[in-house]
Amino acid sequence: MIAVLLCGCAQFGNYMVPQTMTLRRDWPEAVPRHTEIPGVPFFPQLENQCGPAAMATVLSHSGAAVTPEPLERQIYLPARQGSLQVEMLAAPRRWGRVGYLLAPRYADVLREVAAGNPVIVLEDVSQLFFSQWHYAVLTGFDYRRGDLYLRSGSDPRQVTSFTAFERNWMKSGYWAMVVTAPDRIPVTATESGWIDALIALERGGNRDASIAGYQAALERWPDNLQAAIGLANLYHQRGSMADAAQVLRRTLARHPRSTVAMNNLAQTLSDQGRHAEALLQVDEALKLNGPFESQVLATRQLILSRMQASGGAPATSQ
Amino acid sequence: MISFKKNTCRVLAVSLLVLSFQTARAGMIGTEQAAADAGATSQRGMVMSVLQRADTAAQLQARGIDPAQARERVAAMTDQEVSRLASDMQSAPAGAGMDSGAWLAVVVVAGLIWYFAFRK
Repeated sequence: MIAVLLCGCAQFGNYMVPQTMTLRRDWPEAVPRHTEIPGVPFFPQLENQCGPAAMATVLSHSGAAVTPEPLERQIYLPARQGSLQVEMLAAPRRWGRVGYLLAPRYADVLREVAAGNPVIVLEDVSQLFFSQWHYAVLTGFDYRRGDLYLRSGSDPRQVTSFTAFERNWMKSGYWAMVVTAPDRIPVTATESGWIDALIALERGGNRDASIAGYQAALERWPDNLQAAIGLANLYHQRGSMADAAQVLRRTLARHPRSTVAMNNLAQTLSDQGRHAEALLQVDEALKLNGPFESQVLATRQLILSRMQASGGAPATSQ
Repeated sequence: MISFKKNTCRVLAVSLLVLSFQTARAGMIGTEQAAADAGATSQRGMVMSVLQRADTAAQLQARGIDPAQARERVAAMTDQEVSRLASDMQSAPAGAGMDSGAWLAVVVVAGLIWYFAFRK
């Protein structure tokens, strides 16, 4: 009889708080049972401003000196009286930081906190039939006591249980994100996920941050083509032609059939005044019959016109 | 919305000029372009992206953001995110925290429950 009840309880637990139950069986490897990140700033939120407050907290911790006020202009949406998730992910780029969306799993979130990265979580704090969305920052936990520690609203150290927190957090689909400096890769980041985040950072416009990001990514994943292309492009933009050419040559050693790398190397060589080499390179690119053909042809045209302008006759191309 | 029409007209005019003078651009192939699929990098794809950004920025303006800030917010996002923002603005979760409105609802509901429970 008791066995039946216990089984029933376990089933109920699996239904109500599935991820907490999973932690019981499957605590993430190498993650301590209790930890708290020291020195995480606290910004008590103003009304409806949990987004800016949470973002200021993690941005400051990542080394960008910022308070909630300027963030309000970047994240808060007056008509919705709150902050949208996609804007939370984009905002760090304007401060030279990367916003990275974590996998929707307790294990990943705990792992990031254990590694020293506070995590912004989206939870529904209403216990009633309507939703009350709220961003809080997870800064620590003590699994032996079943407690989590959050910077939340006006509370610098809200203590909540794993189960109660999961009930609120699951309603957002277990949404969680970290904000890190571009050369500090989150411990749970995947190669493709992180590279996408860096490309988005580049779009956001901070060149030095993006260069640092791509450099670190290439150290971690030396075969990643997109990071190499990105790095070379930024060196080129900055005027560091020799650096750009070096990155592209190394890239071609690993990816001999990359049209983009060949095209960009050709352009870089031409920009260095080495038009004859550039022409050879762009012809190699065309031989590949890969994508971006029209752009490669346009690059070739540019190289030829520069050769003629500088008085050298173009080499007869095959 | 007048500002939306104005923005669209501006963007269309610029796009027509761009398309009529250029087929393909020489020079470095960009990181985003290299990573994206063929659809996004076509001329049509690029024009659609510019249009969507203008449209989404206008929608932010309509929801209380000043024009310059709206453009900057959109500029920090990838094409996919801009598209996501456009659809999220209406009804996706907007984190705010506990506010007075929620407490009022709690009081009202509690009052109603008490009223109907004790009326019998």
